[in-house]
Amino acid sequence: MNPTPNALCFGNGLPGAGAPCHVTLSADGLTMAAVGGSPLLEEAIAFTAMSVEAGGLDHDQLVVSWGVGASARTLYLKDPALIIAFRRAAPSALMAHLERAAEQVRRARHSHRALWGSAVGLVVGLGLMLWLGSDLIVEWAVARIPVQWEQKLGETVYQDFLSKEAVLKEGPAVSAVQEMTQRMTAKIPNNPYTFQVSVVQSPVVNAFALPGGYVVVFTGLMKKAESGEEVAGVLSHELNHVLQRHGMERLVKMMGLAAVVSILVGDQQGLIGLARQLGLELATLKFGREQETEADVTGIRLLSDARIAPDGMIRFFERLSEKDKERVELFSSHPMSAARAERLKAELAALPKQTPEPFTFEWKGVQDSLGASEPTK
Amino acid sequence: MKSEILYPGAFPMVRVYLNEGETVKAESGAMVAASPTIDIESKMEGGFLGALSRKMLSGEKFFFQTLRAGRGAGEVLLAPTVPGEIVLLDLDGVNEYMVQKDGFLAGAEGVKIESKMQSLTRGLLGGEGFFILKIGGTGQLILNSFGAIHKIELKPNEEYIVDNSHLVAWTSTTTYNIEKASSGWIASLTSGEGLVCRFRGPGVVYIQSRNPGSFGNWIRQFIPVSE
Repeated sequence: MNPTPNALCFGNGLPGAGAPCHVTLSADGLTMAAVGGSPLLEEAIAFTAMSVEAGGLDHDQLVVSWGVGASARTLYLKDPALIIAFRRAAPSALMAHLERAAEQVRRARHSHRALWGSAVGLVVGLGLMLWLGSDLIVEWAVARIPVQWEQKLGETVYQDFLSKEAVLKEGPAVSAVQEMTQRMTAKIPNNPYTFQVSVVQSPVVNAFALPGGYVVVFTGLMKKAESGEEVAGVLSHELNHVLQRHGMERLVKMMGLAAVVSILVGDQQGLIGLARQLGLELATLKFGREQETEADVTGIRLLSDARIAPDGMIRFFERLSEKDKERVELFSSHPMSAARAERLKAELAALPKQTPEPFTFEWKGVQDSLGASEPTK
Repeated sequence: MKSEILYPGAFPMVRVYLNEGETVKAESGAMVAASPTIDIESKMEGGFLGALSRKMLSGEKFFFQTLRAGRGAGEVLLAPTVPGEIVLLDLDGVNEYMVQKDGFLAGAEGVKIESKMQSLTRGLLGGEGFFILKIGGTGQLILNSFGAIHKIELKPNEEYIVDNSHLVAWTSTTTYNIEKASSGWIASLTSGEGLVCRFRGPGVVYIQSRNPGSFGNWIRQFIPVSE
């Protein structure tokens, strides 16, 4: 006869995963018989000779052990019916052990449940906290990034970008953009950045700013603009993205906790590596609506400080929003709303009146130097 | 059902012989070749909801493939996705293995597979996720590992410490706790081990000689970032 196994026996000379065996209960103990070709000897153990506890990964197995040294044996019972039968048959002397075993199971389950409960609470609480305080955390972390790191990060991307594009080295367009930049940067108090502005030949009507003060203006934008003041408006908006460290804020937000940690431990390489790992293109980082508004408002203030006619900025934005069908990339993610234009006008009205000083260049000449405008699709 | 490991080492395959009417269930996509008498069925083990929960929760494949020797005896060749060893285990109805989600390759008809939720600390810190496979029943179970597979036998109350990402499977008589690799948190993190599992016998723990996560991190540096 070869009964089906209902328990596993461990001990010297037995397989590591346990020898399958068949356990039968009697009035004063249990009998263990080998199953299949197992090297186990048939053994009868009295209840008085054994100790009992709960065991196994989930504390749901009954562990019976007896003997010492080389003849020590441990038996794992898993079958619930067998465990119930065992509890019925066992004498009261062993009951204390059994009850302790059962209590252990209950306690383990209870603590699991309590742990799950508190973990869910913790996660919900943390989520709520992060949702409410994420901006604060990001601002706090960004404030801890040294400007040098930011410059290094921006410069890598800047050089990489410029190496693939046709950069205008000199000419009226370059000197015009330089004049605008100089007039504005001279008015920035405690400016930690050395701004570098490049003019890149491309039909794209766009300009972008990288963290650390690297700004790219496309010729498409300059051809579209009707005056130097309009370009200066866009430039001022971009410079303020840099000054407000919007790029770093987006970056830290996207990279999350890992970024905050590498900032905390002062790991600049880690931050750059993280950005590369995520395949983040700094140039394509989209700013949020609040950041755009902030850059608009601080941008128009800077224009006013630099005595550049600020209505150029408003006019350019308005013209872009009117020509929505032309798919102007600069604001495609944040279409110009009437409210945004109104906001800028209100801001302008609140600023002290300045007498604008014209630029030294003549805008028509700058545009002519860029060649004929490509037909728009 | 009888199985035999071909080409033991990094790139093994299993040859499974089936008598007429016998079936083997395998990880979907595991079949390499089969006799013309073998029919391939896709079956959701444990019903639709069971399969769905296994897919959603443990990251296992939604479907297992069932290979049935419907028209006469035949053989099936099975292989895992990753390079690494294969181990054959015989289940007799009492022994049960906890298997991390990528470890299952195939099992006989009588092998029962269920997803099991781990305790919170184990799920959060163990590195295998909250859900692992609990495999019991009767018949042959075929597991695969990333790298070589190593068996650790533990006597009652004997302990052993394993880096949790090297775990493949362990018997359900074995308990384990997650702990820090060193006594201090900083030392634990900087030693590159972080958290480890302390196993306590009796039972068997199968570990793999390579860590899939670390390998992934290592290989990622060579993958060019797409535009």
